[in-house]
Amino acid sequence: MRPLSLTFNVYFAFVRKSFQRRMQYRVANLAGLTTNFFFLLVHIFVYTAFYAASTEPQPLSLNEIVTYFVLCQVSFMLMPFWGARSEVTQAIKDGSVALQLTKPVDFHAYWFSDECGRACYFLLMRGCPTFLISILFFEVTIPQQFTVFMAFAVSMVLAIFMSAAITITIFSSAFWTLDTSGVSGMSGSVIMLFSGMLVPIALWPEWLAHIAEWLPFAGLIDVPFSIYLGKITGVAIWMAIGKQLMWYLIFIGLGRFFLHRGFSRLVIQGG
Amino acid sequence: MHHLSLYLHFVKLRIRSQMEYRFSFLFDLLSQASISVIDFFMIALLFNRFKELAGWSLWEVGFLYGIIGVCFAVAEMIGRGFDVFQNSVVRGDFDTILIRPLGTFFQVFSQDFLLRRVGRFSQAFVILLIANSQLTISWSFVKVGYLLVSLVSGTCFFVALFVIGATSCFWTIQSIEIVNIFTNGGVFMGSYPFSIYRRWFRHFFTFIIPLACVNYFPALFLMEKVVPSGVSTLGVYLAPFAGFLFFGITMLFWRWGVLHYQSTGH
Repeated sequence: MRPLSLTFNVYFAFVRKSFQRRMQYRVANLAGLTTNFFFLLVHIFVYTAFYAASTEPQPLSLNEIVTYFVLCQVSFMLMPFWGARSEVTQAIKDGSVALQLTKPVDFHAYWFSDECGRACYFLLMRGCPTFLISILFFEVTIPQQFTVFMAFAVSMVLAIFMSAAITITIFSSAFWTLDTSGVSGMSGSVIMLFSGMLVPIALWPEWLAHIAEWLPFAGLIDVPFSIYLGKITGVAIWMAIGKQLMWYLIFIGLGRFFLHRGFSRLVIQGG
Repeated sequence: MHHLSLYLHFVKLRIRSQMEYRFSFLFDLLSQASISVIDFFMIALLFNRFKELAGWSLWEVGFLYGIIGVCFAVAEMIGRGFDVFQNSVVRGDFDTILIRPLGTFFQVFSQDFLLRRVGRFSQAFVILLIANSQLTISWSFVKVGYLLVSLVSGTCFFVALFVIGATSCFWTIQSIEIVNIFTNGGVFMGSYPFSIYRRWFRHFFTFIIPLACVNYFPALFLMEKVVPSGVSTLGVYLAPFAGFLFFGITMLFWRWGVLHYQSTGH
């Protein structure tokens, strides 16, 4: 057994490498930022028009909707959608995964570190600028209580961990299909829907919102943002965070199981 | 004619190679369809809550959505060669294309054919059909012709965007991601009536990137909706031709770009 601190150092190095690798693509990041803003703008146009035509009171005010979609764009690249495809699946496809397997590290933990590095990068280089510029141009609400902000931070970190665990679970299908675009696209669309990224769950009809409650994916988007907006308060916050934690652990287990099964049937591609 | 038969032959080859990963192909087809079903489902959810959008009903918006969806799906199917062109430049494969006795535009165009976009196409087409059955559009010979021209024009519009992205690779090597704003973003914003956007935004997407010309204006004409003030009726009639014009200009841009190609070498 290696001492725990050494183990931590090893995986932290993977996080850092993953972060640094992405730092190379600065122009691509700028383009991505522009794309984030474009979609944000169109969302705001659409909702403004919808709200203008409606006289009934809505569960979220227009300001809160704007804030919600700003947060969506901030964390878009942290989520396990098709935009975030992993280099590891490419490695499985072209066979270079064999090299990674020779390293004396836990493969799931290695992959998880890689995803965390990606999340850190996009949070810092994509999320922060998006948020700061949005504050200048749109009316973004900011939580007044420090405790709300803390709860949001915890929930957001769990969302990122969940995202990494889900990504690994989905992309480990590469061991069976090699080309993951189908599997990831399909699960990506379901995840996107039930995370609340397309339309906030508060605006859904009750029966559908009820389904979302039983699925893990609201924990990626809707739960942290609802905490941020003060729509989840008190004990409910602990419940919501507890649920995120539970799903996170479940996906870690699933991912490890799939990887284990995958390795037992792995055929190295190429030479 | 020679080009056409050659193209069909290439298409046959591409389809055969895509069928190699059969499971993934089927799954991809399904995923394409499910992504777009969810897409429209979300719009329906919003209408369920808000009832109308700037004077447009759900199925009027569905009609817009169907047109833009069909155009984009076909464009992705046939224009894939330009969409993934950066790989040819990065690897230096474009050198091979230059020494073959065929036009570069044709060769890149025929380089790929993405059959799996049939999934997305069928979904958009079905929405278009449902929208049509829910609306009372008085179809005439002229209108059917106008719709067909609009669909071809819209497809040209999206292929033209892929060509712009591909051409930029001659300078930047890697494709400029900005083009995604106009392709994926174009489908997204084109699914809603243009009147909800701000003036500068509308003008940009009419005169510079003629997105409004290939689905919003045609939809206005086909559904006989009131033309917004400041838009001439003649402009609405002629709007679909902007897609062809846009395509023509990008073809010239391509030719100019090829002259600037510097091989990344082998």
